[in-house]
Amino acid sequence: MDEEGVMYLVFALLMPLIGFTILQSFGKGGFGIVAAALLIIDVVLVMMMNWADFILFPIITNLLGITFQPASGYKIIKGQDAIVKEINGLFYATGFVTGNLFGYSFKQETAPEDEIGKMIMAPDTWERGIMNIDFPFKFHVVAAGLDSQKVRDEFEGKRSYQEFQLSRALQSGGNEVTITDIQRKINIIQTKIDRLSQGERPLASVMYFETTAIGVSEKAALDSLTSQIKSLQISMSSMDIDLARVQGRELYTLFKFNFGLPTSFEEMALYFDQQG
Amino acid sequence: MNAANQMDKKLLVFLGLLGLSFLLLIIASFIPLSAPTDVFKLILLAVAVAANVLAFSSRYYIYLILPLFEQRRKNIVINDQSPYWLSSTSDAILQKEGDDFIATVYINIPLYRSATEMSDEDKLNFAQQVSRLVGISKEPTRFTTQLYVMNKDSYIQKLRDTITLVEEEEAKLVTGNAPQSEIERVRGKASMWRKMLDNVGKGSSLELSSFASLSARGGKEFEAISLAQQKAREMMSGIGATFGVSPNVVLGNELLKFVEPEYLIPFSTISEQITKNIQEEVI
Repeated sequence: MDEEGVMYLVFALLMPLIGFTILQSFGKGGFGIVAAALLIIDVVLVMMMNWADFILFPIITNLLGITFQPASGYKIIKGQDAIVKEINGLFYATGFVTGNLFGYSFKQETAPEDEIGKMIMAPDTWERGIMNIDFPFKFHVVAAGLDSQKVRDEFEGKRSYQEFQLSRALQSGGNEVTITDIQRKINIIQTKIDRLSQGERPLASVMYFETTAIGVSEKAALDSLTSQIKSLQISMSSMDIDLARVQGRELYTLFKFNFGLPTSFEEMALYFDQQG
Repeated sequence: MNAANQMDKKLLVFLGLLGLSFLLLIIASFIPLSAPTDVFKLILLAVAVAANVLAFSSRYYIYLILPLFEQRRKNIVINDQSPYWLSSTSDAILQKEGDDFIATVYINIPLYRSATEMSDEDKLNFAQQVSRLVGISKEPTRFTTQLYVMNKDSYIQKLRDTITLVEEEEAKLVTGNAPQSEIERVRGKASMWRKMLDNVGKGSSLELSSFASLSARGGKEFEAISLAQQKAREMMSGIGATFGVSPNVVLGNELLKFVEPEYLIPFSTISEQITKNIQEEVI
């Protein structure tokens, strides 16, 4: 979470905190219990909006039956997982699926030979994946290069912290599992620093699939979209990536990307704090 | 509206709702305890909780919270304008955000290579080239591979026109008492074109293409477009150097293929399939 997120969270949690300190002013017994329950609900909802808004938000819009018109001719359905456009009585439903290819390779500490093997396999895996797809789809990679020195400094800071943790664990005779875990974290950070030293440019990227289905009614188009998304998830499962259907605010963001992209990394980061 | 203005608005809404939440909580706590006011105190607390949750949600959902309050209905209009328009130079799409214009340029990447014709070394090189491509630009750039239904609308229309012409020719021959062999020849021709139309309409052919898109912001339309074009030229030289191909800026109606959903699935091309699907559903 970035500084802005922390600020929002701290200020939003202040209210229930003050509420609990003055709880006795709401009376004892039943009224006091209801007041405490309301404050607990507040904390739970704030936490959910922070970490799982993509679950909570569609539930609310589904319950209230709220739809949105993001632009003329388009409609975000109440389930918040598709955008529908109607043209001459035909409905085009568009949905998005996450497909982060790079995140997968960054998190692990593989030997360079394994990585080469994977890169050799990549074109084949991709072609095998799309070979069986008989409906329109797009695979997007939105990428922005980062400042190498800044990223390097950040990694070095993280490595120093982990090294400090390791020395503390070794001095206090920490258990084997903790020491191995810290060593693994150091290795991952070191691999990233080595990559930067070899001239690889650090990237901020968002990768996703987009597919469109057609139908003579909104329901037909949405049903067809769901089956296309399932088919896409099966076809691309060989790529060993997380293929989750996009819901909520990210759907709106990705829809807007079709007509205009962020013009700076800072603007891009504003949209994808959660995925960052 | 630029990012700074949007940020100010967001902060203002957050502080406003948070302030309301604190105010209601304090009012509720100051109301003396008595049987009729206890319920009122709880109602105030519930509203304070709702305001607090909304204040926190405004971080991500500011674009919904304001229209929701203003419109108070089930179908909320965030924007009733077309999401973009084509620039007069036909080489970019434009949208307005507050006082700024955002121009987006699409670059076609003509890549026609398949893994089936590559050796292991070629595959490794290709994967490395793709990795390099993604890291070319410091500015946010979108690289896309798109599989779409080939537009056979004009071809289908041409077939239909041909069939009409042949049928007219047949009618003329029949009414003009032409020799039977001649009539049979024209009927054979009509049958051939009808079969051709059936085959073309039966299944959809798919095309795969790759493109990159990038945007630039400017105070005036031409400023945004020229900045985007400049970025596009830099990007094209990077793509050319990486893959050894000649990328080009997508112009005119071709742009719509990458933007509008109906261009992914052209209507006439797909109409036969829709009819077939409906028939299957009915059965």
